Amino acid sequence: METKLKRLILSAESEIQKTKTNNELLDIKAKYLGKKSEFNDLMQEMKNLPASERPLFGKLINEAKQEISNLIDKQKQIMEKAQINQRLASEAIDITMPGRQFKIGHKHILTKTIEEIEDIFIGLGYVIKEGPEIETDKYNFEMLNLPKDHPAREMQDSFYITEDLLLRTHTSPVQVRSLLENAQQLPLKIICPGVVYRKDDDDQTHSHQFMQIEALVVDEKTILADLKGTLLLVAKKLFGENREIRLRPSYFPFTEPSVEVDVSCFKCNGTGCSMCKNSGWIEILGAGMVNNNVLEACGYDSRKFQGFALGMGIERIAMLKYGIDDIRLLYTNDLRFNSQF
Amino acid sequence: MKISINWLNEYFNQQIDKLELVNKFNLMSQEVAGLSKLVDVEGLLIGHVKSLEKHPDADKLSVCQVDVKNELLQIICGAPNVAQGQKVIVAKTGVVLPGDFKIKKVKIRGIESNGMICSLAELDVQEFDVKEKGIYVLPDDAQVGEDPLKYLGLDDYVLELDLTANRSDLLSIRGVAYDTACMLDWDLNIPDVRVIREGVENPVNIYTTTRDSSTYYGQVVENIKVKDSPFWLKSRLISAGIRPINNVVDVTNYVMLEYGQPLHAFDYDKISSDRIIVREAKTGEKIVTLDGEERSLLAGDVVITDGTKPIALAGVMGGLETEIDEKSSRILLESAVFNPVKVRRTANRLNLKSESSSRFEKGIDASKTLEALNRACELLIQYANAIVIGRPSFYNTANTKDKIISLSLEKLNSIVGYTFDEETVENILTRLRFSFKNKSGEFRVKIPNRRPMESYQDLVEEIVRINGYDKIPLSIPETPTQGGLSDRQKTKRSIRSFLVNRGLNETKTYSLVNEENACKFDLKATEIIKIMNPLTQERECLRHSLLPSLTSVLSYNKSRKIEDVQIFEIGNTYFKDTETEKIAILLNGSADKSTWQKDEGQIDFYYIKGLVEALFEQLNIKNYAFGIPSVNIVNLHPGISAEIVIQGKVCGFIGKLHPEEEHEIGVKDIYVCEFETDNIYKSKGFHNTIYQEISKYPSIKRDIAILVDDGVQAQKIIDVIKINAKKTLKAVEIFDIYQDISLGSKKSIALTLEFMSADRTLETKEVDDYLEKIVSSLEEQLSAQLRK
Ligand SMILES: [Zn+2]
Repeated sequence: METKLKRLILSAESEIQKTKTNNELLDIKAKYLGKKSEFNDLMQEMKNLPASERPLFGKLINEAKQEISNLIDKQKQIMEKAQINQRLASEAIDITMPGRQFKIGHKHILTKTIEEIEDIFIGLGYVIKEGPEIETDKYNFEMLNLPKDHPAREMQDSFYITEDLLLRTHTSPVQVRSLLENAQQLPLKIICPGVVYRKDDDDQTHSHQFMQIEALVVDEKTILADLKGTLLLVAKKLFGENREIRLRPSYFPFTEPSVEVDVSCFKCNGTGCSMCKNSGWIEILGAGMVNNNVLEACGYDSRKFQGFALGMGIERIAMLKYGIDDIRLLYTNDLRFNSQF
Repeated sequence: MKISINWLNEYFNQQIDKLELVNKFNLMSQEVAGLSKLVDVEGLLIGHVKSLEKHPDADKLSVCQVDVKNELLQIICGAPNVAQGQKVIVAKTGVVLPGDFKIKKVKIRGIESNGMICSLAELDVQEFDVKEKGIYVLPDDAQVGEDPLKYLGLDDYVLELDLTANRSDLLSIRGVAYDTACMLDWDLNIPDVRVIREGVENPVNIYTTTRDSSTYYGQVVENIKVKDSPFWLKSRLISAGIRPINNVVDVTNYVMLEYGQPLHAFDYDKISSDRIIVREAKTGEKIVTLDGEERSLLAGDVVITDGTKPIALAGVMGGLETEIDEKSSRILLESAVFNPVKVRRTANRLNLKSESSSRFEKGIDASKTLEALNRACELLIQYANAIVIGRPSFYNTANTKDKIISLSLEKLNSIVGYTFDEETVENILTRLRFSFKNKSGEFRVKIPNRRPMESYQDLVEEIVRINGYDKIPLSIPETPTQGGLSDRQKTKRSIRSFLVNRGLNETKTYSLVNEENACKFDLKATEIIKIMNPLTQERECLRHSLLPSLTSVLSYNKSRKIEDVQIFEIGNTYFKDTETEKIAILLNGSADKSTWQKDEGQIDFYYIKGLVEALFEQLNIKNYAFGIPSVNIVNLHPGISAEIVIQGKVCGFIGKLHPEEEHEIGVKDIYVCEFETDNIYKSKGFHNTIYQEISKYPSIKRDIAILVDDGVQAQKIIDVIKINAKKTLKAVEIFDIYQDISLGSKKSIALTLEFMSADRTLETKEVDDYLEKIVSSLEEQLSAQLRK
């Protein structure tokens, strides 16, 4: 009896495994599990057995049917999977074909540099002030301790529109405007980025139009040490944590004492290279304590208020940071250049 | 300012370490522009031409036997002036002359040559003797085997300083010596001037009628013998970059270098009177200056006259008529002070910048005017046989009183943030050679006239630089403040980020353009602003629009085979009464494309329009519209352009460039847009956004297709739909537009309308009613026909 069942399962299994289509499988199902299957014959035979053996025999038959049914389901899954695989295979694409060419835009390197510097100062509690590019002689020069016929005016040969109007030669007039605006004379911490102009022929290192960013702090206790500390912080943020700074005496009419600020060369780490002309130092900006004449001109009592100011050329910073050797590249807008940053 | 190290050394008891000096100047005084050898040659020797014979195979060459003390060199020399018995400058084999010219052992037509006999030109100091022809012949007392540069005084180093406008004191070697002594903390030897005067009365009378000259000393000197200056004097001038001329002129220049006081020498016999009158020039007056040019003068120029006509331009240049020449024997020496502003104006106008004018412009030490004159007399006695006649004639109204500046230790420390003590300050003031009184930290400092200082800030600067900037501690401002971007600044950054993320590159172009470009794309056609003193016509006018610059960028890139140019710029434009910030966009070529998938990413009007709409969406600007231009925008295609209206105000435009413009540029399909950013900043909602509940109810979509006249704008149709559907219309989208001969002068537009309510599920009936209303309104107002 049992051997009969085993034989039946084995023959069903071999037939099932040979099936290719769903219909073939349905036929096998009918053959083994249908009304006319051999199991039915066996069920008939069961009636001839003693009552005590019938339950065991019935169980064996059911188990055998279940096993065949499982085999059919399994084969069905195998066939379905094969179909899916076939479909997927037919849908396969050449994944090496190029993707859609999304355009990548780029902020201008000067914008990037300004934003970087702005963010450093914002973190230190500064706000950004802007002002007009066409300025009066008064704001661009006179209020900044540069009276008419001051020899330092020649340092900044200017584009004049009328006797009294000119294209600003620095963003310092924004400092003047901000000081005047601050009628209550509260502590002032500002930076002034913007476009400025000087009457220079354009060449590798000169541009008649360029950008500056200046910072100004005025309150009752701003000291030279604050300027030095701020400069070191800014230099490290811009050029790397290991940078050092060096202050050298200089002259600007609107500050006193005035200094030039060098940062230790970030290419050679101060050992000397072509970038720093073997000095180990690179000049990055000018700064100083606000000249009393400027404070007084803006209505601040110079016995009470002190301040510092610093100013840098954005082009110079960008050129140093990115290793650019010709300022004109910044204004040519060759997209092969602009898209590098 | 160029400084001879040999000269500077004369002021000290010890020799200067050049590199230390460079370092000190850089860190404590003025930036060093360079340190170089005056004549950049090593190993030259003085030689004696023992014998000389013609080269057997070359007429013009001489074969010389030259004794250089330890050896006899055979040297072939081509100079016509070479002769037996001469003392000459010899460069042996191995010596490198300026210009990287290395002397090698050579054979010239079979005869060996072991060096070269040099000219001054070959040593790069031809100015030492302009009369030189061929090799330079040294005087007989030159010692064979010694260094000829040392013999000539040319064995020197030159320190070059970049002077700032506040350090006019360093325009003299004495000023440099003071600063050097201070920085090195050395003793300083300033020599006395001694003049022996003969005769009784100086014959010249000196007057002025202008306030522009505070001081004028005139000294007549007789018995002058004009000749070459001694070597040491010539080399001092050369080290400072001044050409030696003759002993008289050289002495005036030497004293100028020494004191910073320019002097002038007139040939006294060529002055037609005994009166010198300094006055303002009359407009139209003329003078021929030393350079032979006739100069037309203006009122405001200051001139030296002989009582009738100008004989010199004060502080700028002497007159040709009274020039010193070889025959001059009586001279008038001038040492004077002129108004810096007047000297500068005149020198600038006539383009006559000189060592003299640049010193007057920066202001000179009026307390040394007489001493400088006396120093010149002293030198002329020594080197020009001069007899100085009586005391100089003069006027002098200059205030040369020492200035007193008070500064307390407390104030100093409160500015610097460094704790100076009294001793340190006293030491620095002593090194500066400023005399002072110190009453328990209250300093009263006497500022010598050589240092033009005004305020305590000037004094603070001096003390800090000598003490050293490296000693200043580090701190940051104490007062807490809130940093950040303003709403406008944030918006500007967002605009940039949006456009960059959309694939556009930002440009930076010049504000100054030519006149033609300045007025392009200006809706108002307003007056342009011109520069009075432009560099070139190409940069003469301030622009009204950024677009001409962007089209230039387009041309530049196209001509370099860059196909896709999508760029923008934010920048100012300039009008008579205001500056207006604008944003300009230029698109050409393809956007995000996938060519093999037949998607060329074509850019057209609707692409740039969509870009601007998306930007406005991003910035939360609601109330905007694109309208048919109310004024014709020249430079744009009249049929493919629109004006941008924000909150009822026209603030810019969008469109395709006019075909003529495109033709001129040589590029097709250029789409542009430009608008004022001010309206954007004003319209952007900066208020807090309040959350809107997302509707729980389903929306119902309906498609309709209508037939309308060709000329009916899509916006009109959408407007009619919006009005009739009221709030239930969630969205309307045009999904097809169709034109065909069969439709005649009509077009078919298909739209999807999406209805939704925020508070309930819409009934089908409701939507049908709306649709009916919409269709009948479209029929009524736009003569539309519904297509079934
Ligand atoms: Zn380096």
